Amino acid sequence: MTSPMISVQNLTKVYRVPERQPGLGASIQSLFKPRYRDVEAVSTINFEIEAGEMVGLIGPNGAGKTTTLKILSGLLYPTYGKATVAGFRPWERSPEYLRRISMVMGNRSALNWDIPPMDSFHVLSKIYKVPTSHYQRNLEALIELLDLHPLLKKPVRNLSLGERMKCELVAGLLYQPDILFLDEPTLGLDVAMQRRLRQFLQIYNREHHVTVILTTHYMADVTALCPRVMLIHHGHLIYDGALQTLAKKLAPFKLVKLQFSTTSTDFKGFITQFANTERLTSENGHHTLRVPRDNVAQLTAKLLETLPIADLSIEDPPIEAVIDQIYEEGRV
Amino acid sequence: MFYIKLILAFFKTSTQSELAYRSNFFIRLLNSFLNLLTGVLSLVVIFNQVETLQGWDMPSALALLGIYLLLGALRELFIGPSLESVTGMDGEIWTGTFDFTLLRPVDKQFLLSFRHWRIFALFDLLLALVVLGAAMGLLGSDLSFGAVLSFILMLLAGLVLLYAALLAFSALVFWNSGFLFTWIINDLFQLARYPVSLYPNWLRLILTWIIPVGLMTTIPAQALIGTLSPWMTALTLLFSLSSLFAASILLQHGLRKYTSASS
Repeated sequence: MTSPMISVQNLTKVYRVPERQPGLGASIQSLFKPRYRDVEAVSTINFEIEAGEMVGLIGPNGAGKTTTLKILSGLLYPTYGKATVAGFRPWERSPEYLRRISMVMGNRSALNWDIPPMDSFHVLSKIYKVPTSHYQRNLEALIELLDLHPLLKKPVRNLSLGERMKCELVAGLLYQPDILFLDEPTLGLDVAMQRRLRQFLQIYNREHHVTVILTTHYMADVTALCPRVMLIHHGHLIYDGALQTLAKKLAPFKLVKLQFSTTSTDFKGFITQFANTERLTSENGHHTLRVPRDNVAQLTAKLLETLPIADLSIEDPPIEAVIDQIYEEGRV
Repeated sequence: MFYIKLILAFFKTSTQSELAYRSNFFIRLLNSFLNLLTGVLSLVVIFNQVETLQGWDMPSALALLGIYLLLGALRELFIGPSLESVTGMDGEIWTGTFDFTLLRPVDKQFLLSFRHWRIFALFDLLLALVVLGAAMGLLGSDLSFGAVLSFILMLLAGLVLLYAALLAFSALVFWNSGFLFTWIINDLFQLARYPVSLYPNWLRLILTWIIPVGLMTTIPAQALIGTLSPWMTALTLLFSLSSLFAASILLQHGLRKYTSASS
């Protein structure tokens, strides 16, 4: 049996943060007698990730996603617990380990802003000891896949956010790491660019069998890329499994959208025949009903039979709504 | 070999970014000339009034000025810009991009010390060598081979001391990101322009053993003019090496302490 690529046991990180009352007096007081408070950013987390898996790490702001990524990449020491990545203890930051991982962050740049990205890539290839022939080949493949050609001669500061993000990905991948930590890579990008990056990550993961942990606030990232999600809330891992299962578990409803062929159809009486069914919206003759999954077939059959229906569709509730519900309630 | 290749790559990219701001070039040039001019002029003024000052004559004071300019140029060339890019205002610690530096599979002290180069400082280096050459020319027949050898050794020790002091003060930033103390060294280093023997006793002791800017320039100059005792040579060597060691330890502790700015 092969051991998992990433294995985490009882991982806990406690930060000591300075605490200060508002006002000048309190500021002066804190200069001489600072007060601290312990904040548990990550609390006894356990999970395993196999090589080649692509896992989405989601949760509201401040949930502990980035802290988890930073511990796994070796940037932070955990307060308790164990973590093994590719057989290494990350926070020892051995060069062998660092050559096998990569961290790409949506809100921070690893590139030199004054020079064209090509020159930064060159320096990185030296730092990671990539042989020249490999470097050329990797770079060409990445440039091709990300459609980068016209960008490579502009200084990084003159690139748009989306263009820069493509270059950050090249910088993070040109030494062919086995493990990729992506911290909100689609942050602030337009929809078209988000889709391009997702396509790229999908193809890259398939071709190179790279293990990916992705944190994001965009559910479209997760639905497109991650068969498995881990949901963190207040430092606790509250769900680990398939996204679809999560949606089913949390939203045992479907949305039935319908339109009548006559404008003044009243169907209040109709709805009351079904338990737990309610009308969510009604606008210009378009109605949305929330119906328990088990009742959907029966309800639609009856609808079509008894009322003048012009159009009808059955949908899952948007995943955002499901996630929002968990964030509000703090549990699955 | 790996590290030399890296330095070359860093030098190349730094030069590219420097050249992106062309107007800097002329300002820097003016700055270098003014620095040289004020240094030489003050010596000319002083030694027009007196033959020697606490045992220092014009050629030896000029040699000391050359050493001061040389160390300053080397600081400007890579030590200063590299350390400041991490710990200074707008440095990597503040912006959080230090995370990437920590993740590079390269010795962190090396990366912190050699990553950024200011190519214009090569001009300062040239000026410093000219001043040093002129001083050696004036010293002429007084120079022995042994003295030159000891001078080179002490010059290296002075450079190591300067580097260790800057590294140690930079490392303090890991304890509190408000500690931007390298300016203390930069300001005190101005005092190294003149021999430490010119300063009152208490200040001389501080400048020799506590913040050793005096050692950095006075000792190599004494080695050159042949007035440095062997035990002082040994002591300076020992002191510079142990300072380097202590500064490295401090940096390692700082790195361990570092918890990056939360996203």
